[in-house]
Amino acid sequence: MAYQWDWSALFDNLPTLLSAIGTTVLAAVFSMIGSLILGLPVALVRLSRPQVSWAAYLYIELFRNLPLLVLVFWVFTVLPLITGLALNPFTCGVLALTLNLAAFVAEIYRAGITSIGSGQTHAALALGMTRPQLYRRIILPQAIVRVVPALGNLWVGLFKDTSILSVIGVGELMYEGRMVATDTYRPLEVFTGVAVIYYILAYPQALGVNWMFERFRVRE
Amino acid sequence: MNSATHFTWDFGVFFRDLPFLLKGLVVTIEVSLLSMVAGTVLGLVVALMRLAPARPLRWVAAFYVDFLRATPLLIQLVWVFFALPILLGYSLPPVPAAVLTLGAYSGAYLAEIFRSGILSVAVGQRHAALALGMTGAQALRRIILPQAIVRMLPPIASTFITLVKDSSLVSLISVSELMWAAQSLSAISLRPAEILTGTGLIYVAVTYPLSLVAELVRRRLLTV
Repeated sequence: MAYQWDWSALFDNLPTLLSAIGTTVLAAVFSMIGSLILGLPVALVRLSRPQVSWAAYLYIELFRNLPLLVLVFWVFTVLPLITGLALNPFTCGVLALTLNLAAFVAEIYRAGITSIGSGQTHAALALGMTRPQLYRRIILPQAIVRVVPALGNLWVGLFKDTSILSVIGVGELMYEGRMVATDTYRPLEVFTGVAVIYYILAYPQALGVNWMFERFRVRE
Repeated sequence: MNSATHFTWDFGVFFRDLPFLLKGLVVTIEVSLLSMVAGTVLGLVVALMRLAPARPLRWVAAFYVDFLRATPLLIQLVWVFFALPILLGYSLPPVPAAVLTLGAYSGAYLAEIFRSGILSVAVGQRHAALALGMTGAQALRRIILPQAIVRMLPPIASTFITLVKDSSLVSLISVSELMWAAQSLSAISLRPAEILTGTGLIYVAVTYPLSLVAELVRRRLLTV
């Protein structure tokens, strides 16, 4: 017996799904901003004296190696128990994504900074530049070009990872997709539609990142 | 803010139920290994399709790679478990559904690793091999792959580590792996803090040594 397709389950609920994209984007944007900020002190501590840099190493290795799903559940169920703070699911999700992503951001910052030859540092200091001048005029302009495409890659991964927040009830695209699939008894049409929506949103972003890698390719 | 919260850690429950969690860990490792094998086979086929002379083959392979890499693993998993059975006419058990999804997903990443590895071997070598009378398959097996594999090893290792972490998602389709065991225990034991914290540490205890090995391999190969 051939399956009777019924795409109205998808199209009738398209407004719900499309408005959930807003939550997906917000979660990704907040987490990206959070990790861009948090990643900086982690990277700087990682690059400092061995007596303190181990703390940043511990942070980076812990959060890079921990599955995101475990972290999301941990922030959602354990953090309130030990701190007494009651956070809403969206805040928990953004916090978990930020903690996870900051470890990767810190490593990208570190690679960007250390990729600038130490000869340039010596030359700038010999020319009489101060440390802030050295960072502003010599190191950062070169480091940013190397860092931005790698951060773009992280962003694309983050955009997809926001779907994991559906498990703690954040009303983003994946969550609403499951709701609609359950309500309509049409998982095939609805989940196919949700996958296509993700593809339409994320594929151009991936192309943009590829373009950045080409555009900012560093020729040594 | 609840000022009365004085949380005290009690890992007694965690250690009592450790055997149950370790059983889950075994399933995590089994699912990861099976998915890696499936992903490697699939990735190799897709990579060769992307390098094939026939244009339709290249298009199909490129779309496969782009689609699986641009959509979240979770929607793929849910699709295979809840939507695919409707097309097939019979339901997939959780473990095959998990291996199918993780294999298809990692296969897309592995295909790109294989393709760039093969392309990294200078084209002159292939021409030389063909000029010496080797067939295309011989050139691939004897000249290109031995050199390409060395360069592919570090990204393959990273893919496997990612796979172990991502396999936690299959708890959502009730595969009884580590995360599923942790979720079940959290609900029963009423000590979710210790169970989840301990489970996180078990994951790190597996993935961190793997990442050290991967880093070691990468450094070794860079110096050669």
